[in-house]
Amino acid sequence: MNNSSIDLKRKKLLEVCKKAAVRIPGSGADQWEIFAASGIENDIEVFNGKIETLAFSDSAGLGIRIFKNHSIGYAYTAVLEDNAIDDAIGKAIANSHITKKDPLNFLPTEKDYKYKVNKADSGKLFNDDFLKYTIDQKIAMALELESLTRKADKRITGISDAMYNDGISEVCMLNSNGFEGNYNSATAMVYISAISRRGEDISTGDYFGIARDPAKLDLKEIAENAAKRSVSILGGKKISSARMDIILDPMVAAQFMGVIASVLNADSVQKGKSLLKDKIGEKIFEIDIDIYDDGTLKEGLASKPFDGEGVIKGKTAIFKEGILKTFLYDVYTARKDGTLSTGNASRASYRSTPSVGVSNFYISPGIHDRLDMIKQVDKGFYIMDIIGLGSGTNPISGQMSVGAKGIMIEKGKLTHPVKEVTIATDILKFLSGFRKIGNDLKFVPSGGYMGSPSILIENIAISGK
Amino acid sequence: MIDNTLAIKILDMLNSGGASFSEIYIQKRISNSVRLEDSKIENSNSGFDFGCGLRVWKGESTFYGYVDSIEEDRLLEAANVLSAAGKSSGTGKILDLNDSLMPAKSSYNTKIIKYPGKMTADSKKDILLNTNRICREYNKKIIQATAAISDLEEEIYTANSYGDRSSQKIVKVFLSVNAIAKKGSEIRTGYKSLAKTAGYEIFDGGDAADIAEEASRIAITMLDAVDAPVGALPVVIGPGFGGVIFHEACGHGLEADAVLKDASVFKEKIGKKIASDIVTAIDDSTMAHHWGSYKFDGEGIPSKRTTLIKDGILVNFIHDLRSSNKSKKEPTGNGRRQSYRHVPIPRMSNTYIAAGSSKKEDIVASVKKGIYAKEFAGGQVDPATGDFVFGISEGYLIENGKMGPPIKGATLIGNGPDILNKVEAIADDIDFAPGFCGKQGQSMANEVGQPTIKISEITVGGTGA
Repeated sequence: MNNSSIDLKRKKLLEVCKKAAVRIPGSGADQWEIFAASGIENDIEVFNGKIETLAFSDSAGLGIRIFKNHSIGYAYTAVLEDNAIDDAIGKAIANSHITKKDPLNFLPTEKDYKYKVNKADSGKLFNDDFLKYTIDQKIAMALELESLTRKADKRITGISDAMYNDGISEVCMLNSNGFEGNYNSATAMVYISAISRRGEDISTGDYFGIARDPAKLDLKEIAENAAKRSVSILGGKKISSARMDIILDPMVAAQFMGVIASVLNADSVQKGKSLLKDKIGEKIFEIDIDIYDDGTLKEGLASKPFDGEGVIKGKTAIFKEGILKTFLYDVYTARKDGTLSTGNASRASYRSTPSVGVSNFYISPGIHDRLDMIKQVDKGFYIMDIIGLGSGTNPISGQMSVGAKGIMIEKGKLTHPVKEVTIATDILKFLSGFRKIGNDLKFVPSGGYMGSPSILIENIAISGK
Repeated sequence: MIDNTLAIKILDMLNSGGASFSEIYIQKRISNSVRLEDSKIENSNSGFDFGCGLRVWKGESTFYGYVDSIEEDRLLEAANVLSAAGKSSGTGKILDLNDSLMPAKSSYNTKIIKYPGKMTADSKKDILLNTNRICREYNKKIIQATAAISDLEEEIYTANSYGDRSSQKIVKVFLSVNAIAKKGSEIRTGYKSLAKTAGYEIFDGGDAADIAEEASRIAITMLDAVDAPVGALPVVIGPGFGGVIFHEACGHGLEADAVLKDASVFKEKIGKKIASDIVTAIDDSTMAHHWGSYKFDGEGIPSKRTTLIKDGILVNFIHDLRSSNKSKKEPTGNGRRQSYRHVPIPRMSNTYIAAGSSKKEDIVASVKKGIYAKEFAGGQVDPATGDFVFGISEGYLIENGKMGPPIKGATLIGNGPDILNKVEAIADDIDFAPGFCGKQGQSMANEVGQPTIKISEITVGGTGA
């Protein structure tokens, strides 16, 4: 697909939205919003030097949110014909008849915006070079990644997943307050999971690369990282249960950012489901740590000019020097707290309504080198992989208990691999236990685009033998 | 959903590029979801998806594409693109346009009484309000309740170059209840769900009220929980959702795609002893109205009951068409897909450990110091190694053969093949529980099941001594 056909598609999606919009008046809606999205995607999986699966798609759909008597109703359709759109409008109206009535339920206006000027660089979201990549080149990348990983270490005996996928997507939004916006974005991702064996011991390690442009994916580095993560924990043993300091590898730490995000969501706070309720202005971390949600971050994969309700995105300091400064807001929760929307209404697709979510959400890097941090630990556990974060963490009660793999640290040195142990704590103790922040910030796509450097955390219960 | 001649025309066009197999999958899906929180209906959403997925096999490779439409022109255009993908393997069977496709037969025939499309929004609201009332009346300490209903009505059609076609209607209804209890600064949650491959008749009895009470009981019980022990202990796993351990820790390793990729610990174990003699495990998609049941799988293969493990011996893997073809086995009717946007892959349906002959009381009495894990928040497994973790959402200490206090923040961590050999006793109280399972980005309705079982030793990860 070339540029002119992308332009043509863009016009088409906007046209579809406008055609849908003229069908709403007369339906009984007081206000309306149309969110449409289209995507062209390739998913390539390879195995043993051959294509296992190649899937491509070119699809579009739209969701209609209507406001009637301060109640909201929603319906989507993947079929863009007039009768399907009429059906969706009718269902959205019917849905509004049972949802709660709240005087705060009305479309956003600029008065709700915390950030008045869009600082997201739309040019960064979509790069024309993307279109130069042919499907054969993409297949070749997946094959090369598989081959490089197999060759990276002789203990690698298999590959359980080797894939390339990409997507060019467009989002288009209109509302009855006169908002009209759209943007294109593209991402390419590769993922590899390597199996290593030695005698009866077996281990897996995975790694990925993600970028706005396939050219930025460093296959060699990704292959080496996956292999290293697999073999370095090969032959891992259980250790005896004890309390000790832990160092989270950035890939692991970034996954914990999702847990932190869930307690910062204003909707959870307002419903009494967050441990940080009533804690604005309190020092949650003992160290001076800064955490941001930045919807405008230059290379951020979650950057966009406006959020799921059309509100301009910005950079929000959530923790500054360890002190909780604000929660994350969409328009409704902001009105409820008498504040402004931070542009955090997120939308997984046109199939879902906007709800509070993070964008590029990260811990600002510290000054410590990871190896220096390891050197300073007398007895500890360097964690390279976790399992069961979702089922082991309850953001409401705060309990956390997660499976972990990694390497033991003894007298400042990485000694032997460890597996089949858990780390357990509660969220507030976990946060206040942060002691040192590394200088190696790494982002992982997991809900939003989560970023963290390596982190040294004090005195965590490890359960093993 | 499309006529015979068009289906054959598309299949022949798909095959024209030299494919060994081609397939059409059409899905029409009408869905609704309603969610209550804070004693009010938070949102009510409806969706409409209608489209077609096309698939061909060439050599080792699968090529897949889909369109959000079933218009003849768009289907033929997509078929034309797919037929050109990959290299010809020259073995395709071209169907004669005068032939008719043979309708597949299934013994799964159930009656739906209350179709979702016939239910008013108000009647769904009433179910949720009633659920909310039961939770809040259960105990004053219940401070919040969330309840959600989702329903769907689907029509599915498949046709393939073997000359087979299938069509089926699917109706599913799901209710989940989450109760939150608070005492002092302690917050605990309780979750239960009711889900059937059936209509709104599932609310005619007292089942919805029962799960609302159960969710509330769990939240209240857990308020008094003590810290969970750490270390390797005997674990008694409760009936019903306890089966999630078998599903995650063993079931995924029995899915044949993992086996074929040499990414399963059960590779080359057919006919071999992999579990204690008392373990028999079954996958059965034919159980009337169960959550994981269907008439045909996502490839038009009739649902089936498959014994996976018989008296400790591995007898079958879980197959889709592709894996059964590659390993020269009969398909087991487990080729499932989330929608027309997804490639079918081997998935469990209703998977359970069969009832034994022990009594629950005797099993508990046999444990000197251990835990009873009644409900789980879910879990995760690495199929290549069999390593798993599960978060316990309701669990108790067992002391000197008697049930002790509830425990908080506990997870189980272990290895699937290892615990299969440590199953010491199986009771006669089999029960089932519904859930959703994610694999390769596809979410499926699955049911798990088991009686009370005893595992001689699993590592328990908690924060206590």
